[in-house]
Amino acid sequence: MQNRHGIRLFLIRALLALMAIIMLLPMVQTFLYSFSSIPEMKAYMKTRGNRDEAEWMDAHLSPHMFSLGQYEQILIKDNTVLQYFINSVIYAAAILAGQALVLPAMAFGLSKFRFRGRETLFFLILMLMLLPFQVTMVPNVLTLRFVGLLNTVWAVILPMVFAPFYIFLLRQYMIALPDELLEASSIDGAGPFRSFLWIVLPVCRPVLGAAAALSFAEAWNLVEQPLTYLSQKPDLMPLSTVFNQLAGENTGFEFAGAGLYILPALLVYLFFQQDILSGIQLTEMK
Amino acid sequence: MYKKMRLAWPFILPGLAGLTLFYFIPFVGGIWYSVTDGSFENRFVGFENYATVWQNQMFQLGLRNTMELSLICAPLLFLLSFVLASLLHRIRPAGTFFRSSVLMPYLMPSSAVLIIWLLWFDYGGPVNHLLSLLGVQRINWLLGSELRVPVVLLFLWKNLGFCVIVFLSALQSIPESLYEYATLEGASFRRQTFSITLPLVVPSAFLVAILSFVSAFRIFKEVYFIGGPYPEEPLYTLQNYMNNMYGKLNYQNVTTAAYIFAAIVFVLFGILFFSQRHALRRLNGEE
Repeated sequence: MQNRHGIRLFLIRALLALMAIIMLLPMVQTFLYSFSSIPEMKAYMKTRGNRDEAEWMDAHLSPHMFSLGQYEQILIKDNTVLQYFINSVIYAAAILAGQALVLPAMAFGLSKFRFRGRETLFFLILMLMLLPFQVTMVPNVLTLRFVGLLNTVWAVILPMVFAPFYIFLLRQYMIALPDELLEASSIDGAGPFRSFLWIVLPVCRPVLGAAAALSFAEAWNLVEQPLTYLSQKPDLMPLSTVFNQLAGENTGFEFAGAGLYILPALLVYLFFQQDILSGIQLTEMK
Repeated sequence: MYKKMRLAWPFILPGLAGLTLFYFIPFVGGIWYSVTDGSFENRFVGFENYATVWQNQMFQLGLRNTMELSLICAPLLFLLSFVLASLLHRIRPAGTFFRSSVLMPYLMPSSAVLIIWLLWFDYGGPVNHLLSLLGVQRINWLLGSELRVPVVLLFLWKNLGFCVIVFLSALQSIPESLYEYATLEGASFRRQTFSITLPLVVPSAFLVAILSFVSAFRIFKEVYFIGGPYPEEPLYTLQNYMNNMYGKLNYQNVTTAAYIFAAIVFVLFGILFFSQRHALRRLNGEE
């Protein structure tokens, strides 16, 4: 009995380990390949698309010779990748800053104030959250064109600042906070503003971290929005929309580009990992 | 807590203004476009656009592909995340490393991973190599309807983590003592799953089902990564149709297509909602 239990646990662990390898391998391999020299990578990528039944691509994990050539190319010699990368940074930073100003306050308003229409408003936000991007995209284009923001960076940034999902996430967390917390501070004479800044926000740290990390991930992987809102401005595109083209062109430095792009996301993940796990677990997601 | 509406305004107003400007007004205002003909006089044409778009072949192709891809992705996402969450739950409290590696891709830009992905699924690439070692004929993944396989797998790779964590947190909120009691009474693992685990995770399962569909409708991302801006027929999604119409400045057709899609999405969520209520009632009734 004890032995069978042990075998089963071992099998579960083996399955999970296999899953972990599949999950992590793309990142690991991207980083490893980014340290091979440009000629080596070019030659390797040329072996793609070979329909010869007898041949295989050379399957290797690490570069044959360590080289910083790819990074030198994209960071110093040729700045196209860097330019797109900077665009991505601008979008992500502006979106997150905007969200930080607007969304926690809104979630607080929707959770700790009682007013007519609160439930209706929250229901509408839920509906918006469920709508696929395609549905709001077109009407959005029309509004953006009307206010003259289409084909500017604001067209990508502004709609994302009011992303309904994060209002939902934060509100569900805040609504579970005990009222006594705020009552105590209002007895001490603090108004809603001071209570919000000094009590609610610090208490919400995990979910704020989770929301920031999730939102960063979304803003770092933008595709639909720039493709539609910036269709006339290819030089304003974020790096995320360019990889498909890079992969096709066989420039030899595509892996350094990908590695450069994964790195910030990796740092954000490592920094906020615990917040994401506990933020999701503590939020009443029903 | 605070009862005066006056106090709520400063908190709500900025967000509400943005939501109104960028979501509510466009959504309601777009209806106007879908019922006019876009000519100089901009006549009211009722449901004429809807009839035209509905019969358009490219729209039908895009809608069919979008629905097919979503109906492949969402159930797969749901089932896989339930299986992984149960496995992770069984080795608790260990497994921190597994938990964080399954969540990691959710935070990673899949746009950057696509280069590796294309390499893996190359005709002479590692996936085919593995298959041939198992004695299976090589498949040309990057052509025709096989293209859907790497697209769906990239989608699953990216989106699995979040659903797993939501499921896992539901499983962890079930009190341990219930299982201990059931084990003492001699209930098998399967019996425990059906009588304890399932009824208690139904609400979270519903949430995961919704999340699966919400993210499955975003599959255009993966389609664009692997198929490029002008994908082959098996990958031509609704978004491609809309981008195309939008490029031709045909706002009538784009908005119309958007509302048809919205109607379908809401019907689908309606069905999900009612099946959740049904499932809850049945599970509770059995006890």
